[in-house]
This record gives sequence, structure tokens and C-alpha cells, in this order.
Amino acid sequence: MAGPKSSSAAAAKSTTPSSTSSSLTPATSNAVHTLWKAYNEATSSRLKTIDAFLVFLMLSGIAQFLYCALVTNFPFNAFLAGFGSCVGQFVLTASLRSQVNPENRAEFKEVSPERAFADFALGSIVLHFFVYNFLG
Amino acid sequence: MSILSFCLLSLLVVSGTDAAKLSLQSPRFTISSSNATQLRAEPISLAQQPAPLTLGLTDVLKLTFQVIEKDEGKGVQPHQTFLRFYDKVSGEEGIQPIRVTPAGKAKFELNMARPPTSLPPTTSSDPLSVSLLLGSFEYSPVQFDMFDIYLPESQPAPQHPDEATFHPLPTIVHTFRAEQKLPPRPISATFAALVLAPWAVLLGLTVKLCRDVAPFTTIYKGWGIVRPPKKLIPSTPLAQA
Repeated sequence: MAGPKSSSAAAAKSTTPSSTSSSLTPATSNAVHTLWKAYNEATSSRLKTIDAFLVFLMLSGIAQFLYCALVTNFPFNAFLAGFGSCVGQFVLTASLRSQVNPENRAEFKEVSPERAFADFALGSIVLHFFVYNFLG
Repeated sequence: MSILSFCLLSLLVVSGTDAAKLSLQSPRFTISSSNATQLRAEPISLAQQPAPLTLGLTDVLKLTFQVIEKDEGKGVQPHQTFLRFYDKVSGEEGIQPIRVTPAGKAKFELNMARPPTSLPPTTSSDPLSVSLLLGSFEYSPVQFDMFDIYLPESQPAPQHPDEATFHPLPTIVHTFRAEQKLPPRPISATFAALVLAPWAVLLGLTVKLCRDVAPFTTIYKGWGIVRPPKKLIPSTPLAQA
């Protein structure tokens, strides 16, 4: 997923360093800022939407896992269903993103983006069928 | 059939009335201690039982008698001669066969230092009633109650391995797992908000994407990159389908 993206980051390293706004060293924060800028420029909004969904899934999964680890795992089946849905959906969305990314066209010759999206939709339906039944 | 039963019945009646009786002549007992000093010696009266005997841990009881025919008085060797030790309270009994000479004389010795295995288990408070059982083909069987004896306490009767199955078994007590406790409401509410917060993040990001680029519908239009806004300078060549 991050493979084709990282090539653009290397090309954009020659930009001027920016002022630090975090507790990181100037070099680190500079690298992060450059990476962010390159990402913003190089990624299409379609891929950015998918990335937003991925971030949402990751945060949701982390929040559920923290609750289970810190507070209680009392309705364990509920935790498994929720966490499983986050992880499963993340995997499906990540595979969709890699198949839809035009920079990966060479690897997915026989899979059209419409076919990738159909696979994604079908996988999501099956995943949520199991998740819903496991929720209890 | 009826003739046969009549004959058998008459035979029984005849045998009952005409069978001779057995009796004991000069039954005596002697209790002596381990160093042969005599502690007690008495004749046994069949009409009235003697006072209950007591045997210590090392004492010896000697019993002598002669089996005779009641009417004629001659010695008889019965086919079966048993000494029965019976505990009325617990119901345990022990049978000790006694050897009788052809003349009818019998001698029995009970050494508490080496007790016979036929003794029943004894308790310290309850006596054993000792009786003599005589069985014979020619004479009618007879039981003589001789005396009561207090023996030293013995080990209790061993319990049969299946004994427990003949009584109600103890009630089964279940230990259930403790009830699952819910966390306190504030913590629960905090984490509920934390788990639902990513929805707000997603909404915010989508709105931002819509604002930065063209209207929402154009994000999914076609294959490849939508034209970026003019303020961003593209640094890499963008692939076109």
C-alpha cells in the first residue's frame, strides 16, 4: 500500500525545512512534514477517501482494544465481533486501495478497479454477516 | 400327591415328638490371668445365667462341658458344636466351632493375647452374649445361652468399599463462577465516546476532502487522479489511464 507512495517522498526531499511545532527534533519534524506534503500532493482524492476510511478503522480498532485491555473483556464475543470487523474491514479496504491505485496497474493486470470494488463489497457483506451474528 | 404330602407331614410330626434331647453336664468356666493366677471360676447354670464375665487384654477363658443325652445321661458327640458370640447392639456375631470327643467332652480356650479370628468386633460398653449351638442328625438341635462377656475393645468392622452406595450420597454443592461485573458508568461512557470518536474523524476528513477538491460526487468519477486545486503544485507526474 505504501510502496508506490514512498517513491514520491524521496523526490520531494529538497523542499525547505519548516518551523517545528512538535516535540520532535527539527530533522524528524522536517521529514514528517515533507512526507505529509508529498502525500497530499501525490495521492488522488479517491485514494485519500480510502485512506480516511482506513484511518477511521484503525482508530476504531485501537479504541476497542484499549477498552478490552484496560477495563474489562466482559462481553467477550462483543469485543471479538467489533475488533474483528475493524481488522477485517481494514484488510479488505487495504487490498481495495492497492488494487485501485493506478501506480500498481502493472501488478493487477487482470483485475479491473470495478472488479476490485465488487470483491471489496462482497467481502464486506460476508464479513459483516459473521460479525453481526457474533455480536450476540 | 396328597397322599405323599400326608406321609411327609406325618413323618415330620413323628420326628418332632420322638427325637431325643441333648443337655449339658457340668459346664464350667475359668478366667485366669497371663501368669496363671485364677481370677474367677464358676459352674455355669443353664437355668440362671452367671454374672457377666470380663476379660482383660491378656486373660484366658477356659470353658469345659460334656454333651449328654437328657434322659439316659450318656455322652454324645453332636455333629455340630458351635459357640456363638453375638453383639445385640451392633448385630455382629462370630461363630467358633468346638471340638467334642466321642464321649461328649469338650474344652474351649479363649486367649485374649491371641484372639481367634472368629470373634466379632467388640465395643467397650456392650457385652457379647455367648451361646452354645448343638446340631445333630439323631437329636433335635438345641441352643444354650451361657453367659454375657465383656471383651476388650477391638478395631471397628472394616467398611465395605461399596458401603457408601447403600446410603444417600452427600448433597452435591456447586460452586458457580462469580457474576460478571460491569465497569462503572463514567468509565463505560468515556470509552463509549472514545470508540465513537473515529466516526467524527471520518466525517471531518470526508468533509475536508470534499472542500479541498471538487464536489463529493466527482471523487469517484473515472479512473485516475481528479484535477488538484491550483494552490497545490504537483511535484510528481501523475499517471493517466
